[in-house]
This record gives sequence, structure tokens and C-alpha cells, in this order.
Amino acid sequence: MGKKVGSEPLGSFYTKGKVRRRREWRGFKDTFYDYTRWLRIMGILATFIIKPRNIKAFFRYRWMANYLAVPMMVDRHTQGLRGSYLRIAHTEFDLVVADVAKLLDNLFKADRRIGNDTKLSAKAVLLDENEMTTFMMGFPTLKGLSRETPAVYVSVLLNQMAACHYIDVAQEFGLAGDVCPMPEAEAGVSIDDDFPVLGACAVQCNTTCDGSLMGNGVISRRLELEDGVPCFQLASPLRHREDDVQEYAAQEIRNCIAFIEEKTGAKWDWDYYFECAKRINESTRHRAEWLEMSKTDYPQVFGSNLALYTETNYMAICGKDPAFVEADRKVSQLAEKAYRNKEMAVKEYRHRAIVWGVQSHFYMDFLIWLQNCWGIVPLTDMLSMVSTKIISEDDKEQAIYDMAWLTENMIMRNRTHGGYKVLLDELWEFCEQFRADTVILWEHMSCKALVGMHGQFEEKAREKGIHLIWVTHDLFDPRVVSRQAIRDQINRYMRTVFREEPLDPSLEVLPDEHSW
Amino acid sequence: MKDLRHLYFFEKLLEDANNDLVREAKDSGLKCIASVCENAPEPLLNLPGTFSVRLRAPRTGSIDMGTYYLTSFLCEYTRALLERAIEGGFNFADCIISPDGCSMLNRCIENMELLRTVRKDGFFYEYMEIPMKADDNGLALYKLQCENHILKPLSRNFGIDVSDEAIRKSVAEHNKVCRLIREIGDYRKAADPRITGYEFHIITLATYVAPKSLILPYLEETASELKSREPDPKSHFRARVVLVGSEIDDVDMVRLIEDSGAYVCADRFCYGSLPGRDEIRLTDDEDALTQICRQYMYRGQCPRYMNQAKILGRREYVQSLCREYSADGVIYEQMKFCDPWAYERMVGTKVLRDEAGYPVLSIDRPYAVGSSGQIRTRVQAFVESVEIKKIQGGAR
Repeated sequence: MGKKVGSEPLGSFYTKGKVRRRREWRGFKDTFYDYTRWLRIMGILATFIIKPRNIKAFFRYRWMANYLAVPMMVDRHTQGLRGSYLRIAHTEFDLVVADVAKLLDNLFKADRRIGNDTKLSAKAVLLDENEMTTFMMGFPTLKGLSRETPAVYVSVLLNQMAACHYIDVAQEFGLAGDVCPMPEAEAGVSIDDDFPVLGACAVQCNTTCDGSLMGNGVISRRLELEDGVPCFQLASPLRHREDDVQEYAAQEIRNCIAFIEEKTGAKWDWDYYFECAKRINESTRHRAEWLEMSKTDYPQVFGSNLALYTETNYMAICGKDPAFVEADRKVSQLAEKAYRNKEMAVKEYRHRAIVWGVQSHFYMDFLIWLQNCWGIVPLTDMLSMVSTKIISEDDKEQAIYDMAWLTENMIMRNRTHGGYKVLLDELWEFCEQFRADTVILWEHMSCKALVGMHGQFEEKAREKGIHLIWVTHDLFDPRVVSRQAIRDQINRYMRTVFREEPLDPSLEVLPDEHSW
Repeated sequence: MKDLRHLYFFEKLLEDANNDLVREAKDSGLKCIASVCENAPEPLLNLPGTFSVRLRAPRTGSIDMGTYYLTSFLCEYTRALLERAIEGGFNFADCIISPDGCSMLNRCIENMELLRTVRKDGFFYEYMEIPMKADDNGLALYKLQCENHILKPLSRNFGIDVSDEAIRKSVAEHNKVCRLIREIGDYRKAADPRITGYEFHIITLATYVAPKSLILPYLEETASELKSREPDPKSHFRARVVLVGSEIDDVDMVRLIEDSGAYVCADRFCYGSLPGRDEIRLTDDEDALTQICRQYMYRGQCPRYMNQAKILGRREYVQSLCREYSADGVIYEQMKFCDPWAYERMVGTKVLRDEAGYPVLSIDRPYAVGSSGQIRTRVQAFVESVEIKKIQGGAR
């Protein structure tokens, strides 16, 4: 145990319970840094919980109990990290934690059942979890709040079992068990009447998949018909690379903005929009720089450090929060320094991998496990390979098309929709660019758009001589495929095909089926 | 009842995608336009010089190859289609025009393209974006997509006349089929109907998979025959149901329901007649293409339409069918793994049962139902429950 990367077996921290045996010793400097960040997260939680309305929310909403696991979630994503990697992780994750705490605080303040702040509620626009929030970039006086993000999406990041209850609720209500568990769980929360009730209006979308689109119908039924919150359905074209759908997409954005203006009385502010657009462009440049580094022998922002942060910054923030650009700058500084010093996250990089497909949500720290256990470097992942187009910072007409473009190119759907080229052909192009020898292919069993290319992935990988490792899972439901079953799929391939021994054998089998 | 004269002929047509009428049309030099979804407007695929076929995979056995490419998580319809395509079963087609209707169908067709299942000079694939909301913006998109992915490719590749006049001619023929199907289908409203749900299903299904001009004489004769057909003195059906849900091109599905005692009085599913065989009404003050797209968009009952008016409209439509066809109950069905209909079935079942007060049977099913004992048992139990309610004088 010590300062050196890989100096202690990380599997030894696991118990059969929810939490780990002890915190990791990373040498004095890194341990002290990590501890101060842990204290900061505890501070965010304490600031949140001292408000009586938030305590009330803990008892009203079943999913709130998952938030007790926030410090543990951050710990899971910093396992084995030292130096720059540790600092990059904390810069990103701690900011995401603070952002979610702010979101929760606003939700409960305006919630008719909790804070019932009608003024705030009148300024709140409810957003879909799977939605680019570009159409909020010109409304500085409004608050775009997503209910599904903290109730379902983040909850599963915190506690692997968080969505199981809601999945069961939806199925008891009559939903088939073979749909994607993500919209299924969201529908379950709505059926269970476990969402905060607030907002002047809501904007739903069709962005991820057929299941997500249909799940919105369940949610809007309660939201619009029972709670009286008017909903706009933002329909974004599926074949988003085609020129002949762009006008439709742009008109949807215009209609959406007009709807928000009508329901809230707020007016679109172009100055604020372009301010946000500049921030989006800066974030894009930083992300592009990180990806360029990942094409070299010394990648610096990859795996968990790239995936979750990109999702949040690209989709939910959309340039509206300056804190994220500041974090981008800091991450770039740390990464550049580490690159110059040829730093490595683990002691040996054995395989360069592209992680493709839809990741298992209940096991988001799988990427860090890959590098710690087997020395597989997850250079980038499908959800991080989003638009790198620089958007206009002064042209109002072009801006409408930019918003439409970004909406069409939401995380995941920019690959799972738009024809096979964006999912299949571009993967091999990325393999070449990143000099990857391996593809870790998440097979989210309920994601029809993805598994519908199963045979094509296999045949092309064989043709190109790339190792393709399937990792089957059911996104939100660890009862179908457990974390260990996920790991076993990698373990089996590494031992039988690569004939390798793990870098850290203590991580190969972990007793974490009950763990947060 | 006395057998319908052409029923066997219609049944034979459904035994093979490349059926007798398709072959006859091909021999006469017509181009075959294959499609897989109701959202591709049929009259645009049946212009002078072309005819449309909605793809099916009748007599499906093994779908192992389809399952290898698409996995066992995609619906069996798509797997069966891909299997059939790999076997060369759709080589008679001259192109495939596929709306990006659902992810599974889209992937199915893309796999056909990638695997080059049809190796024929000039064969092409077109993918259409279809609006997900019924509004002016959606209409503009629909029209543009039909122009770019149906009309222009047909004109460019096959030299087909895609003028307004040609489209109107196609609509006129389409409407003849629709009127006959409606005339035949209206007999189902009677208390002692002179056509079974099965017979009607077969006739309707045949109109989707055979050239319109060639099937018209058979429909006319059948309609004429039905005018004097005597219903059975005593019906063996114990309940009347509306069948609602996802794609059904299986000839056995309605037969199984009727063998279990429930008369299928209305067919609200893809490949059904409601609203698939509603006439398209054209006026002279606007181009035909716009009018076709508008009517397809506003009347469409596909669950992928996501705006609230369409969502609510779908359940109201089912209720209106229940009233119009004097149904005792509703069977909501979906093909297993179908995401859109999984949700629509769940909410539709709840609304029809709890809010409209109809008994509802909610089932998922395989592509080819065959003689499924499980579904038979469920339908039989449903029929009994409807009967008991009738005896006890409960609500409906």
C-alpha cells in the first residue's frame, strides 16, 4: 500500500455488504487530497440536508434514500487513481455532485408537495432526462429542471438496485418485461406517483429510442392530464445525417421555444444564447483535445473520467453553467501536464480499447475496473463520441439549426439512430484513429437499435482483426445480469483468448452483489 | 355458412410472398415495390407501372440466421423477414422502401442491405423519415420524404410517371379496393354476421400483398357473393371482440381467437382494415401528394405518434370501434419485444378497462401463433369471463 499505482490489491476492500472495508491509502499527498474532497462532498450533502424541506423529501420520495451513497459513488470512480487522474476525477465528479444537489434543491423547493414555492414553479420548465437542453440556452430567467435525472438516472449510479422497485411497478401495471428498463423505470416512478410535481410546462422528446418515446406517453398522462402541467413533445428526426430532415428539426426547435414563451411568459434572449454557445464551443474544444491525447500512447482523460462528465456537460449543461467550462480548463491543464510527464493511470497498458454500445448503468465504474484489473485502457466510449461541430456564436438563423443539430445528436441516439453507418462503420474508423486493438461491446439486451447490428459487428470485427468482447447486461436491472456476470464475460475472454493473467487478481471476482 | 368462392384463392395468395398475382404482375413488366410499414403511403407505391407488396414471411419455420444477425431480443417479425430475405425469398422485389418506423424494422432492412440479400441490377433501398407528431411541420416533412424517397427514386430508377395525375389515378384504384373492403367488412356489424373475422382477415391481408388491379375482380365477386350469403342459423360465437395491436400478418391469429369462441368484429392492427382501408378523399384545390400525406398522418393509429392529441385519439378510436361494431370486449395484442406496442398495450388496456368499462384481454404473442395453447387458453378464459358478466348483468 502506498503512493505507487497498483500498490495494493483493490479487491481486498470489498465486503459482502453495501460499503467497503476502508478507504484506499494512496500515499500521504494523494490520500490527503482525496480526503479533503470527500469532506467537501460531505459538506455538499450536509448543506443540502439541513433544509427541512429536503428532509421531508427524503421521507416522501422512495428514491431519495439512494443519495446516502453519494460519497461511495465517487469513491468507486476513483479506485486506484493517483496524481493527475485522481484530480481530474474529483474535478469532474465533485462538480456533477454539486450540480445534482442544486437540481434536487430546486425541485423540492418548487414541488407542490414539499416547498410549494409557486414563484419558482412558474419559472420551471421540466425537461426530459434524455434531452439536449439547447432550447433553454436563451432563457436566463427560467430554470430547466429534470425530474427523471435524480429520480432514476442518478439513483442507479448511486445504488445498483435503485430502479428495481420502479421496474416492478411498471410490470405489475402491465408493461412487458422485455422493454428497456430505463424508460420502464421512469414510467414506474410516474405510475407510483413518485415524481415531484411542479413546473409551468414540460418538454419531452423522442431522442433515445422507441421505449423512451413511449414511456413519455405514460409520464405525460399524469403530468398533463392529472397535474395540469402542459407538455410539448419535441420530435427530433431519426435519420439525423440526412439533409432533408434538418428543416423539420429546426422548426421543432422554433415551435418548442414558442411553446415555452407562451407557457412561462419569458422571452428568448439571444445574447444569453450566444454566451452559452461560446461555452459549448470551448467545452467541445477541450473534449476534442482530450480525445486527441487518447490517440497517443499516453491518454489522460478516458474511461470514467470521460464518460459521465461528457454526458452531463454535453447534454444537461449545454453551456448554461460557467462552472463546467472552468472545470474543463482545469482538467485540460492537469491532462496536459500529465501528458508531458508521460503519466499512466495503471502500471501497464496492455490493450487499447474502444468501448461501444450502451453502458451498464448500474455498473458505471466498470471502466475503471477494466483498467485496474486487466490493463485495458478504455480510450473512449460510444456515449462520449458526440458532436464536435463548432456552433455559430453570432448568427441567429444558423443558431436554430445548431440547436436542432445538437438535439438530433444527443448522447447515444447520435449512434443508435441515423442509419447503420454511425453505429457500425464509424466504430471501425475510431478503432483506426485511436489505434485500438479491442472493442468492448456493451450488449444492452433491451436496446433494439443496438442489438439489431449484432451479427454485423461480429463479422466486421473478424474481418478487421479486432478483438470484440461482448458484455451483455440489462442497463438498470442487476437482477438479470449481475456485476460479477459482467466481469466474468471479460475475465473469460482475457483468460481463454488472450491467455493473460490479471494485473490485479484481487479484482477478478468481487463480492459486490449487495453493494451500493 | 357456405364457403366463399374465392377464399381458398386468397388463402393461397398468403402462402407465399411471391404469390400468383405478384408473378403475374411481374410477368407483365410491372415493377414490384416492397415495403414493411403502414406509414409508407400505399398509393405512392402503386403508380402506373408499379405495384406494392408489404413484406411477410409466411410459413416461417427456423429463424436461426435472422436471430444470429438481430439477436433473440428483436421481434420475430423482423427476424423472420431477414431470414426469408437471406433465403432469397424476396428476390422478386425491385426495391425496398422502408419508413424508419421502429428501430427493429429499420435494423432488419439495414441488415438486408448490408448482407446484399437481393443481388439484382438496379435494386435499391430507400429509408424514409416519418413524422412523430401530426401537425403542419410533420406534414411538410412527410411530403418531402415521400418526394425524395419514393417518387424521385421511382422516377429516376424505373422511369415511372410520378405526376399529380398519375398519383390521382393510383388513389382512384386504391379507393376501389378500400370501398370493397369496407363494404365486406361492414357485414361484421350485424348481430348475425355473414362473414367471419377470419375470412375478412384473409381477404384484407391479401389486398396488402397483391397488385391492386389484379385482386380487384376477386374482391368484387366476393362482395357480390356476400350480398346473398346466408348467415348460420345459430352462431357459435359467444362474444364479440375488437382486436387491437401490433402487426398481424399471421393467418392463424384471428382463426385461433374465433376457434376459442370470440368473433373478431373489428381489426385495428397493422395489416388490418381499420383505418388501413379508409378511402383517401382528394379534392382538386390541392396537390394529391399533400392530401395523401395529411390523411395518412392524421388518421394513422401507429403508437409512434407521440403528441398528446394522437395518444388520446388512439384510445378514443378503439372505443368508437367498440361502439360501432357492438363489441363486448377488446383484445390488445403485441408481438413480443415490440417496444411501441408494449407501452400502448399497457395504457390502452388500462384506459379501455378502467375508464371505458370494457373487458380487456392483454396479451403478447409470437409472430406465428400457430396453435398456441397458451393464447388459446387465455382467449377461452376471456370469453368465459365476458359471458359471465353478461349473465350477471354487469357493466358490458
